[in-house]
Amino acid sequence: MRIPDEQLNLMAARLDAIGVGRRDFLKVVGAMAAFGGLGFVTTAQAAKPSKPGPGEKLAKDQTFRWGGGGWNANDPSSHDFNKDLYCGGAQGLFAGLMVFNADFVSVPWMASKVESNKDGSVWNFTMRKDTRWSDNSPVTARDFEWSWKRQLDPANAAPYASFLYDIKNAEAFNKKQLTDGSQVGVKAKDDWTLEVTLEGPRGYFPVLAAYLAALPAHRGAVEKHGDKWTEAGNIVTNGPFTLEAWEHNKQVVLRKNPYYYGAKDVHLTRVVMPIIPVASGALPYENNELDMTALQAGDLNRLRNDPRSSKDVFKYPFPGTWYLLPQTTKPPFDNVKVRRAVGHAIDRENIVKVSQGLAIPAWSMIPPGFPGALDDPKIKAIQKYDKKLAIEQLKGTPFEGGKNWPKITLSMRDEGLGSKPLAEAVQAVLLDSLNMKTELEVLEPRVFRERLWKQDLQFVWIRWFMDYPDPHNEYFDTFYGKKTSGKRQAWVNDAFDKELEAGRDTRDPAKRLEHYKKAEEIMQTDVGYVPVAWVLRYAAKKPWVGGVEKNKQGEFVVDGNIYVDMFQHLYMLERG
Amino acid sequence: MALSTPASDTSLPTPGGAAPAALPSTRAVRGSSLYRDAWRRLLRNKLAVAGGVTVILLCLIAIFADFLAPFSYTKPNFGRLNEFPSREFPLGTDQLGRDQLSRIIYGARVSMLVGLGSQIIVLAIGVPIGLISGYVGGRVDLVVTRFVDVMYAFPRLLFVILVMSMLGAGLTNIFIAIGLTGWVGISRQTRAQVLSIKEKEFVEGAKSLGAGFWRVVSRHVLPSALTPIVVSVTFGIPEAIFYEAALSFIGVGINPPTPSWGQMVGENQQFLRSYWHLCVFPSIAIAVTMLSFTFFGDGVRDALDPKMK
Repeated sequence: MRIPDEQLNLMAARLDAIGVGRRDFLKVVGAMAAFGGLGFVTTAQAAKPSKPGPGEKLAKDQTFRWGGGGWNANDPSSHDFNKDLYCGGAQGLFAGLMVFNADFVSVPWMASKVESNKDGSVWNFTMRKDTRWSDNSPVTARDFEWSWKRQLDPANAAPYASFLYDIKNAEAFNKKQLTDGSQVGVKAKDDWTLEVTLEGPRGYFPVLAAYLAALPAHRGAVEKHGDKWTEAGNIVTNGPFTLEAWEHNKQVVLRKNPYYYGAKDVHLTRVVMPIIPVASGALPYENNELDMTALQAGDLNRLRNDPRSSKDVFKYPFPGTWYLLPQTTKPPFDNVKVRRAVGHAIDRENIVKVSQGLAIPAWSMIPPGFPGALDDPKIKAIQKYDKKLAIEQLKGTPFEGGKNWPKITLSMRDEGLGSKPLAEAVQAVLLDSLNMKTELEVLEPRVFRERLWKQDLQFVWIRWFMDYPDPHNEYFDTFYGKKTSGKRQAWVNDAFDKELEAGRDTRDPAKRLEHYKKAEEIMQTDVGYVPVAWVLRYAAKKPWVGGVEKNKQGEFVVDGNIYVDMFQHLYMLERG
Repeated sequence: MALSTPASDTSLPTPGGAAPAALPSTRAVRGSSLYRDAWRRLLRNKLAVAGGVTVILLCLIAIFADFLAPFSYTKPNFGRLNEFPSREFPLGTDQLGRDQLSRIIYGARVSMLVGLGSQIIVLAIGVPIGLISGYVGGRVDLVVTRFVDVMYAFPRLLFVILVMSMLGAGLTNIFIAIGLTGWVGISRQTRAQVLSIKEKEFVEGAKSLGAGFWRVVSRHVLPSALTPIVVSVTFGIPEAIFYEAALSFIGVGINPPTPSWGQMVGENQQFLRSYWHLCVFPSIAIAVTMLSFTFFGDGVRDALDPKMK
């Protein structure tokens, strides 16, 4: 099923309104673009169980220990995804109607069949009958009706309820304009059929149904225990795992849920997730206290260069771009010559060295290997590093020869990810090439976002993590001049906007890419932004961890925000 | 030889020599002054002397950082990132290939500035408030003391972080934040001293001779109350340095590229196992500074007030 553009834009607008939107969620829509607008598979095709390969022998103890290096760094606020999709709870506890596979395509999970009416405004999910909650009660359509209404009920004040606003009357109910919950368009026709009536045609609804926010909660447990229902003794789950223990600020332990329909194919009996601060780095992994860990700078190089662990290290998909935003409304960046000088002053090759392997030089928005990536010498040349050229740009400006700079503050969000050393390297090359002194200001994330969206910051160090592999995301969602919310930069260029609109409205893939290429060229020539580095992410797993799924590009895929289906595929091999 | 002879002449009592015998006696006479006595006690305290010498050294390092640092603290060297200590870079290079030694030397400047600068603010606020509250007494004292009590009840580090998040990061703001939160202790001590001193006869005497408020306070009360204030300042300096380090450690202190020890530790602690030198050397710098000030402060306190021992 092909989803019309206006519906995709509608979804983008919906997510924008939530404020958590695109970056964290829309990745999934990538599936739609990457697979020709087919973001989901509606026939019964639950994720395939994994099997050990020939010669692989399963270990007796099927316990998987996961975390570290930024994963599970904080104690979850709860495991109640139904109420707060960012609760930080454990994956594998709850199963939605749909689930994303390793290619981020939405496939049925608790549903066995998904059908819609002709225009996609009414969806019918047929439930599978062979799966049960961990208390041995059936998982029915009524559970989902109740759970989604629970999220929408204003009394529960679920922070991301607007996620479900595509459902008929959901918004009105959530905003107290409508008190009768039975008018909300989600209804269990019987135990095994969930009928969802939407505000209009929404071809992407199965994608929403696969996201964390659409996970169910167990009515009995919620009604009995209230806010404490996700504590280990109280929780009832319908996913492949259930909660064995949750020692706050120490660890979360999952146990296989025997009532899950696929339990016989789930190899792991336990998953142990210790809460470990990022600062511990890869130490717990190296001490064999973890089977899989994320890698931060420093550790990455050490583990890669150590013959004992070099084979453990793998890259996983995480496309993102670090770039500079010179605010075109604030001096000195209101002068295009100054912006061009900055573009030529950025010594990308050297700056990325600081990341210690977690970044490569960027010359456009889209990293290599993703749709719309440009490998064009003409584009590369627009802002190429050239100290002489950089200082020449300043001729005729008040800053000729790198003099008379006003006070310049480079602002960034407070976050790990090796962001600060990169920013400091940028400061250093600007000082070196243009004698431009900058002060680096690290802002608390909330403050940063607020000021960013007011376009109040003079000079910004920022990243864009790709939400879905389509140039529409990297250009339109990021830089479109007529965006009304979440706009990061004051820079506007009509010719650029026209290319984006053309890119959006063109069907022929080759012609679309031409439009985006033109857009990139305009944006770089006018220096709406300065691309600096592309992100790389690495993790390490012990040789005895098997069953990690791979995507079409052959990369290992690990649990994150979109793909949450890792645990049920893993198995532990005998340690040789 | 020529140099050592006069030295031995003064230190070793020579039979029949008049001058060396006269020295101790003069000392005994002058020693009746409080501060001279204290000075003598301070010099006898070896830890305090060691602390004091280190403090002076640190001050000199801070003042002459431009001459002492072998490299610039901003200039990166992308070819030589995270290098371990070597002959060329005695303390190694940091994540941007900058010389760690130079950054620590410049970091001393920030630490000393914060230590001394914030104490000036602390003195400027705390002492007058304590003086007035103690000397005027009555309702003024009641109101001021309650206010001080309220301020005292705040957890200080949290309060500093709050002020910093309102003012934004930066050196001046650190002065203000630490100064605004640090005056409470000193004002309490000043008040306590003044309360007892103002009842003394010499104050009474000064008043009866017609001395006005300002004269009594500035010439009679304040000098007598100085001892605990001095002690408090010697402890306040390392405390302020530590607060700056803590603030920079959590990222709300000094803005890069200005180096700060706390920031260096905070940024590099996650590399402890890969590049230990990035974190260990600035930590040592903080530890040595704190220790020297504390030893010195202890010595000063013992010297000024032997009863407190």
